[in-house]
Amino acid sequence: MLSRRQFIKTGITLLGSLTLSSCLKQDIFREKFQELTGEEKKAFLKRLEERYERKYGIRINVDATPPLKDAVFGYGLDLSRCIGCRRCVYACMKENNQSRDIPIQWIRVMRIKKEDFNPSDFEHSEHYYSPEEVPEEGYIYIPIQCQQCERPACVKVCPTKATWKEPDGIVVIDYEWCIGCRCCMAACPYWARRFNWGEPYIPKEELNPYTHYYGNRPRMRGVVEKCTFCIQRTRKGRYPACVEACPVGARKFGNLLDPQSEIRYILDNFRVFRLKAELNTEPKFFYFFSLG
Amino acid sequence: MNRKDIINFFKGLLEVTFKGGKAFYLWMSLLTLLLLIGLATYIHQLREGLIITNMRDQVSWGFYVSNFTFLVGIAAAAVLLIIPAYLYSFKPIKRIVIYGELLAISAVLTALLFLFVDFGKPERFWHAIPFIGTANFPYSILSWDMLVLNSYLFLNLFIVLYVGGRVYFGKEPDRRLLIPLILISIPLAVAVHTVTAFVYNGLSARPFWNASILAPRFLASAFCSGPALLIIIFKVLRRFSGFRIEEKALSKLAEIIAYAMAINIFLMLAEMYKEYYSNTIHLTSLKYLYEGLGEYRRFVFPIRFSMLLNLAGLIIFLIPATRKNPLSLNAGCVMIITGVWIEKGMGLVVPGFIPSPLGEIYEYMPSIREVFIALGIFSAGAMSYTLSLRAAIALETGRLRHPQAPPIIHEKEGLRARDIMTSDVIAVYPETPIEEVATLLLKYRISGIPVIDREERRVLGVVSESDIIYKEIHKDPELLERIGGIVLPAYRQTVKRGDTAGEIMSSPPVTAFPDTGLEELIGMITEKKIKRIIIVDSQGRLSGIVSRIDIVRAVEKEKIFFN
Repeated sequence: MLSRRQFIKTGITLLGSLTLSSCLKQDIFREKFQELTGEEKKAFLKRLEERYERKYGIRINVDATPPLKDAVFGYGLDLSRCIGCRRCVYACMKENNQSRDIPIQWIRVMRIKKEDFNPSDFEHSEHYYSPEEVPEEGYIYIPIQCQQCERPACVKVCPTKATWKEPDGIVVIDYEWCIGCRCCMAACPYWARRFNWGEPYIPKEELNPYTHYYGNRPRMRGVVEKCTFCIQRTRKGRYPACVEACPVGARKFGNLLDPQSEIRYILDNFRVFRLKAELNTEPKFFYFFSLG
Repeated sequence: MNRKDIINFFKGLLEVTFKGGKAFYLWMSLLTLLLLIGLATYIHQLREGLIITNMRDQVSWGFYVSNFTFLVGIAAAAVLLIIPAYLYSFKPIKRIVIYGELLAISAVLTALLFLFVDFGKPERFWHAIPFIGTANFPYSILSWDMLVLNSYLFLNLFIVLYVGGRVYFGKEPDRRLLIPLILISIPLAVAVHTVTAFVYNGLSARPFWNASILAPRFLASAFCSGPALLIIIFKVLRRFSGFRIEEKALSKLAEIIAYAMAINIFLMLAEMYKEYYSNTIHLTSLKYLYEGLGEYRRFVFPIRFSMLLNLAGLIIFLIPATRKNPLSLNAGCVMIITGVWIEKGMGLVVPGFIPSPLGEIYEYMPSIREVFIALGIFSAGAMSYTLSLRAAIALETGRLRHPQAPPIIHEKEGLRARDIMTSDVIAVYPETPIEEVATLLLKYRISGIPVIDREERRVLGVVSESDIIYKEIHKDPELLERIGGIVLPAYRQTVKRGDTAGEIMSSPPVTAFPDTGLEELIGMITEKKIKRIIIVDSQGRLSGIVSRIDIVRAVEKEKIFFN
């Protein structure tokens, strides 16, 4: 026979271990988002939204729109039009909730003397150019962001399968699964990936509340992030923010599988090239010169 | 085995590992202090993130990953020493294999700690574990690296615990189990270092690492730093504990280092030739490392310094005279460890990021906090090695042993002291007068006689001819001054007076055990310049004497040749 004291003791221990294990399941030993069922995903996203609301004091919508059928996204960048104004950089920063105090920018625009331009080598590039006015005579500007490779070097090296290529060609990262080892950063030939070295900070009023789980939802310290072709927009049929922000129409975007798309027009009518083509990463990001 | 046995074992283990002399406590306190500083800094890093390091997006791996790489080399080399031991039956090394394996265990643990503190989300490390998490096989080399490192860790742990357990109970390890395990550990040792090299090697984005010579260079340099560290460790042990190691084993290690360093330097030159002669855009990182890019030249001095150290180490270890001299051997070891630590640590990792794939140059040197955390981790490693070594030595000498276990018999082939010693030995007591001793020496035509205590026959010292001569000469101080230094080896250290054996004997005597091998006996006689070795049992009681003539006879009879 159990004495009353023993009974209470056992009860408390049991209850305690039960709550502890469920906490562990939810917060520490939870499963990978990708492998959850539809219902579980919904519950998980709801918890995420609650967590964000507690942290930022505003409602942030996190969806997980799956890839569109029959769509593989491609990007075109017209180097003869780019004026190096960096409007894309800042539009991207705002759209994608990039950290402001320890600044993170997914797009890097480089200035290179025309005669030094080499799509395989950027040793002569200037990253921190700041003239009174752009464009400048004798220079071209090359914006670089994640090239959404068909054979991504970053995905291969990830020791936890926390980053992968989606059916629509977008390389995504599960911020809840990344352990922050930064192998992918060492592997990327385009320096497209950024790490949250400290706690990212975005002023509440500048937060973009329309987010995607694999995209622009606020990140945390210690994980890697990068351009996702604005997955939160493009999977809903919109243009990426950088395309909309470009004042000279140098940025083109579309479905590579759709023969009528603008990107297909560019591939068919211009001599496009990809950066560091010798590495066989096969980017879906095409550069070209439409003029001259 | 019952509960009492287990309790006894752990009690014994605690005693032999944690009880020690002043030097031991001082060493452990220093390590604890560094460990605490490291821990406090790491807690700070957990709170603030890796922003407290000097790593940034441009140079995204730094000091932690550099030390990880260096330590994997140490771990690999510590076990690779087994090859000469087993393939060529080189016995002096065979005995130290277990110490190499212990070093491998501590080095892997330390390396894994370095990897761990480099993670942005360390609490999620289990995502990388197969089955529990989602390890990325077969694509991710880091997944493979963690797999081989852990296999290597557990294999070595098993070997060491198994051998230790058997020794504790006074049983021989089962060779049918042990030899295959040790043979597996050899390719695994090669694998841990090769796979670590492949983590870098496979990244086409980083031309500096993307050279096929990388893995061979890793191995060559590991074969330098690993044995160099072992030499230093053995020398320290010999100084501070009952650990005995033959000079021959040390100079063999030094020889291995010389060859490995020659290969390492050759491979480095091969790489430099290829890059400089072909002079493609991939040369830039190498140029940054060796000569600097304009104003960016933070690595130039360290790498040139390391080249100098490696070269000096090579010369020291190539020349037999400097290789055998204890002082230059120490210096050479320190030079090589430092040289390889720079070259295969930061010198390998950081230039891979400079310039960045987009041509940006961000110069990196670790922040003071990174250094604190690294020191803490190194201390943890040193601590685990110190404690495991103490347990191993206690097991080997029999201080840690099951009460019912049979006494220690050293596993050695060939002739031992008991086979060649004279066991019918004449001994005297401390109070025996000198005259009587002299008579005995003359009567039996022997050159020395052990002095034992009456009750337990413990050997207290030896009275030799020279002690008697000394005694005789002592009456004439002037004569003593003239010839003392010539005929008396220990003249000046001790001034002896008196008329009994106990007063003039040399003490403590040079002793060995009945199962000490012939080679070791020869080593003792030549090294210490003595004429005879007193053989005692484990309680220090007289069992026999091996004199020079006994050895000559044994060699003659067995036709053994020593090189």
